[in-house]
Amino acid sequence: MTTQPHDHLVKSYDEEMARLTGEIAAMGELSAKQLEAAMDALGKRDSKAAQRVADNDDEIDNRERQISNDVLRLLALRQPMARDLREVLAALRIASDIERIGDYATNVARRSMTLNLSAPVPLVGSLAPMSRMACRLIRDAMRAYAAQDAELAYAVWERDADLDALYTTLFRELLTYMMEDPRSITACTHLLFIAKNIERIGDHATNIAENIWFVVRGETLNEPRARRDETYEP
Amino acid sequence: MIEDAALLNPPPASAQTVASAIVAPPPKLAVRNLDFMYGDSQALNNISMDIPEKQVTAIIGPSGCGKSTLLRVFNRIYAIYPGMRAMGEVLLDGENILDTGYPVHKLRSKVGMVFQKPVPFPMTIFENIAWGIRHHEKLSKSEMDVRVEQALRRAALWDEVKDKLKRNALGLSGGQQQRLCIARSIALKPEVLLLDEPTSALDPIATGRIEQLIEELKRDYTIVIVTHNMQQAARVSDRTAFMYLGELVEFDATEKIFTKPAKRQTEDYISGRFG
Repeated sequence: MTTQPHDHLVKSYDEEMARLTGEIAAMGELSAKQLEAAMDALGKRDSKAAQRVADNDDEIDNRERQISNDVLRLLALRQPMARDLREVLAALRIASDIERIGDYATNVARRSMTLNLSAPVPLVGSLAPMSRMACRLIRDAMRAYAAQDAELAYAVWERDADLDALYTTLFRELLTYMMEDPRSITACTHLLFIAKNIERIGDHATNIAENIWFVVRGETLNEPRARRDETYEP
Repeated sequence: MIEDAALLNPPPASAQTVASAIVAPPPKLAVRNLDFMYGDSQALNNISMDIPEKQVTAIIGPSGCGKSTLLRVFNRIYAIYPGMRAMGEVLLDGENILDTGYPVHKLRSKVGMVFQKPVPFPMTIFENIAWGIRHHEKLSKSEMDVRVEQALRRAALWDEVKDKLKRNALGLSGGQQQRLCIARSIALKPEVLLLDEPTSALDPIATGRIEQLIEELKRDYTIVIVTHNMQQAARVSDRTAFMYLGELVEFDATEKIFTKPAKRQTEDYISGRFG
């Protein structure tokens, strides 16, 4: 059942499903922008901009509540079946993942405000490629969602391993830096947490990809995935 | 033998998906290459399916798809009308009920049927149950009292009518009348119960009672229900068959049909889309 479905006999049902899809897409884009804004504030040491990012998280939370309400209404009033049921269920899960992405972007912004209280750390620049990759994963997951493209979703799912690998590299780099200069431990610890937040964003993009696969294919994506976060290893 | 028939005439791959979450018990009714004609018009086209014992099988599909016709073949009620012919086999415990040698009275005692509109006989509640039993068995008055009570209890109607058994059945509510019809069917101790849209004329409370009753009855009976209400099929059945234009499109575990049907036509129908 990989082809696009026909329209519903009841047009308002299609409209409600389209609205739900639109809400998810808007929420996803907002979360990517929040991460970009948080990273921009971090790079520019702009605490006011970071605070705006933290304040904007309410918008993502509100959208998630709206989607939960819409899903509840669709389940109660339309009693969706088969692919419709999977779409509605996936919308609820995806909204929850995007809400978490928003939280992580906020965490990045808050830590940047703390970092601004001490001297600049040179390794901040190393985080930029990670966050760019995370934003691409979010946006590609959203494109896969809008197009109901299982293959694109699968690609996102696979590419999270690259983000994990970047995280591992950065982790080691920061460890070395801390060993060389213990005065940098506080700042580097904040950077490590920021890097971990971005790495977690990739995991949520992966969850979204799994949900898209579930909608389109009707089955869970449960093959073993390459994991390159090797920071657990000694 | 069922096994022989299955080997000689395997169901077409397109008509029945093999993969299923629930392993079906052995079939009570085995339909093999069934065609049905209303005069020159073909209403059923090469249907093959196994109706599992002591489970609820729902048949869904748009009006005119042949689902009620299929149900009517299962107790040969079509035979009372001229010009109707069934070809192929319907094996009840391995015996072909379409064989002219298969006695109708034996079939009707094994396969009970309840219709869309409750049709109590214009007689007392007690007599509605007892009348059918008398055609098949000779019982003493006390034995008959026990049988009537048993049937009414099984149909979850006893508590509501035990003090008015001598009253006319036409005075019962629609939901009570339908449960009386079910009691009348099960009083004959059938093995298969056919329900043709049994709740379409009932309110949601009466419908809920019938659905609860179906759940209880499936412990002892093989039940086949035709319904236009897909939520009802999803709620009450173990397996669901989707029919379209006289053909069996898909037949699988109900959970699979309503979450991940294999066929596009099934998906379109159950999700209310243009086919």
